[in-house]
Amino acid sequence: ILDDPDLKDIDPTVLKHCHAAAATCILEAGKQKADIPAISACLEDCKLDKERIEQFCTEYQKNKDALEILLGSIGRSPLHITDVSWCLEYQIKSNQLHKTYQPSYLVTLNVENSDSGSHPDVSFSCTMEQLQDLVGKLKDAAKGLERATQM
Amino acid sequence: KLNVDVDTVQHGVEGLTYLLTESSKLMISEADFQDSIHVLGFSDELNKLLLQLYLDNRKEVRSILGELTPKLPSYHNLEWRLDVQLASRSLRQQIKPAVTIKLHLNQHEDQTTQVLQTDPSTLLHLIQQLEQALGEMKTNHCRRIVRNMK
Repeated sequence: ILDDPDLKDIDPTVLKHCHAAAATCILEAGKQKADIPAISACLEDCKLDKERIEQFCTEYQKNKDALEILLGSIGRSPLHITDVSWCLEYQIKSNQLHKTYQPSYLVTLNVENSDSGSHPDVSFSCTMEQLQDLVGKLKDAAKGLERATQM
Repeated sequence: KLNVDVDTVQHGVEGLTYLLTESSKLMISEADFQDSIHVLGFSDELNKLLLQLYLDNRKEVRSILGELTPKLPSYHNLEWRLDVQLASRSLRQQIKPAVTIKLHLNQHEDQTTQVLQTDPSTLLHLIQQLEQALGEMKTNHCRRIVRNMK
């Protein structure tokens, strides 16, 4: 904003105050999920004229959804799983034990941290039975979700 | 009680240990085991005892040796919970469904747990991907390799 040619005649301090005030107003409205009448009433109390209120509300309405998504994504949550990779191996031998002949799955859960944006992925190995157990439990969770959405 | 000195006993134990671990590791057949110890020149009775010792303990020795291979943490259990986030400090009046998962893993006799979260669509994606993984063992390619590797 400070570099905008249209605004160069205005005192930068005033500009900063305006920006901060507008930002606070927008964020608070977004946080409370305020509707247009509520915002208009609030701005009227601040003695803005009708034309400015209308302009503000129109712009706000245009960006409301994006704002809500942004606000909703702020906050702490456990590590978020974004994807999974798997690899199927057939073990033949190790230096400690020969002739093992066992299939084994290597599963990696790709994880994202809302705060720092990166986190080592969670990897583990499992047998076929264990993977079946894991998938079974995930399917139970999905069924639970389905039932919850039908309530 | 055995009337032999400590060193001899120690060597005896070490010898037996080596014999059993190597035989179990390689999973040698009865015939091969008998051939191998024959060169040691022991009595037939002793050879029979050694063979029996090998066969009786082979499985256990192999499972212990199996623990020594390099390993990643292995799956133990999974618990899940459905949550709906209704509000947060930065946004009120939300309806955000989430699945919270507690993953129990084993590594070197320690059990670790990790709490993770995912959304409904990713959950369905995970299920689909892992079901594909399970299906792989049943394909002709994998079956052929398993058959030919024995």
